[in-house]
Amino acid sequence: MSTAPANPAQPAPNPAASPLDLEALADSLSACADILHARLMRAIHQRPPAAPAPAAAAAGSIDHGLSQGTAQALFENEVALRQRANGLYLDAAELAGRGLGGQQQVLLDLAAQAQDQIRRVNRIKDMASLLADLLALGAAVAAGKPEHLGPPVEKLRRHLADLQAGAPPSVAP
Amino acid sequence: MRLPRLLVCLGLCALLAACATTGNEAGPRLQAVRALAAQAYRLDNYAELTERYRNTYQREKPFLSAQAEVGEHLLDARRQAACDDLVTLHRAVQAYLYLLGRLAGDEHYDVEDQVKGLSSAIKAWPDSGLDERHVNAYAGLSRLLGRALAQGDQDRSVQALLREGAAPMQTLLDAMRTLLRYYAKTNSNEARIVLGVLEVEIPFADTPRDRLLAVLGKERLQAKQAEYRLIGRRHTLTERSLDELARQHLELLTRLEPAHPHP
Repeated sequence: MSTAPANPAQPAPNPAASPLDLEALADSLSACADILHARLMRAIHQRPPAAPAPAAAAAGSIDHGLSQGTAQALFENEVALRQRANGLYLDAAELAGRGLGGQQQVLLDLAAQAQDQIRRVNRIKDMASLLADLLALGAAVAAGKPEHLGPPVEKLRRHLADLQAGAPPSVAP
Repeated sequence: MRLPRLLVCLGLCALLAACATTGNEAGPRLQAVRALAAQAYRLDNYAELTERYRNTYQREKPFLSAQAEVGEHLLDARRQAACDDLVTLHRAVQAYLYLLGRLAGDEHYDVEDQVKGLSSAIKAWPDSGLDERHVNAYAGLSRLLGRALAQGDQDRSVQALLREGAAPMQTLLDAMRTLLRYYAKTNSNEARIVLGVLEVEIPFADTPRDRLLAVLGKERLQAKQAEYRLIGRRHTLTERSLDELARQHLELLTRLEPAHPHP
């Protein structure tokens, strides 16, 4: 339906089917397998209490004495139905997963954009710290206490070094 | 000294700017974005259930007849190929939500650290030119700058990212929900095959000679039933958390301001 792929040469076995169609088909196969299983289990539990040798009841109908071989053969049918259903679920999954690369790329691009923005704001915050450093340095100078100059100057130098190291190589326009 | 007057001036400017740009809706909206982003880790469950889906064949193998194994082997090859793509489907969504959440972060525009840095520097020199008043002025200025400069900006960026990401987000979340449904249904068929073998065979192990076989079979059946019940529950929970994520995302979209052409 809405997710119909644009590519006409798709390897899926049923090109005309939508994932929903495939799923509905698989659901009904699974339901058939469920019915078969219920009937099989009923027959197994209705066997005469003293089970005869497997060969004895081989020709009987399913409700009168069921041999192990018959039970296994019937169960194989059930397994085949379930495998067919799972194959259709896989077809549907392949269709549903197709063509999502573009959408993923959009989100990844937006994430990169957010990252840039975060970096930019961090740089503004760095500027605020730098301003604080400068104020402190100015105060130490104004106070005329040369012995206080050491720490702020050192801090300022570290800060500038961090800024240079952290700054990305000039943003492209 | 001219410094205080300068600071007061700057502070007033910042205050005016703050009043002009702070929106009333921005706070709750940013908080909703953070709440949404905090749920992104739940998508890991999607990846884990995709991995489990990928390994269907391995779990079924001991229970399959030779004939059934041939068919399952073919399915397995296709399943492996499909899962290579499907298992990474959640990553773009997670990366997007994670960075959106960080951009909407409340400590992101916070300048407290910078303010603390200055006030501790001042405490270190009691008789320097700077005193408590200056720190307070600087703090007020920085906080206002942080809010005024950033919040309008922050809210605008977050809204723009939300708008542009809306369609791909819904598409990918929908795809993941659909795929999870297929995984769950496949898992239920797998369970019926595995449990079915035991259910069908155990009643035939009813002679005294086969007593041990019956006991071991029943014990296995119980263990397998518990395993599949648990996986079923995980599917339910994962589906529910994806629904919730999609719901929160949609709700957030309804709270966006109409897009206005902005330089």
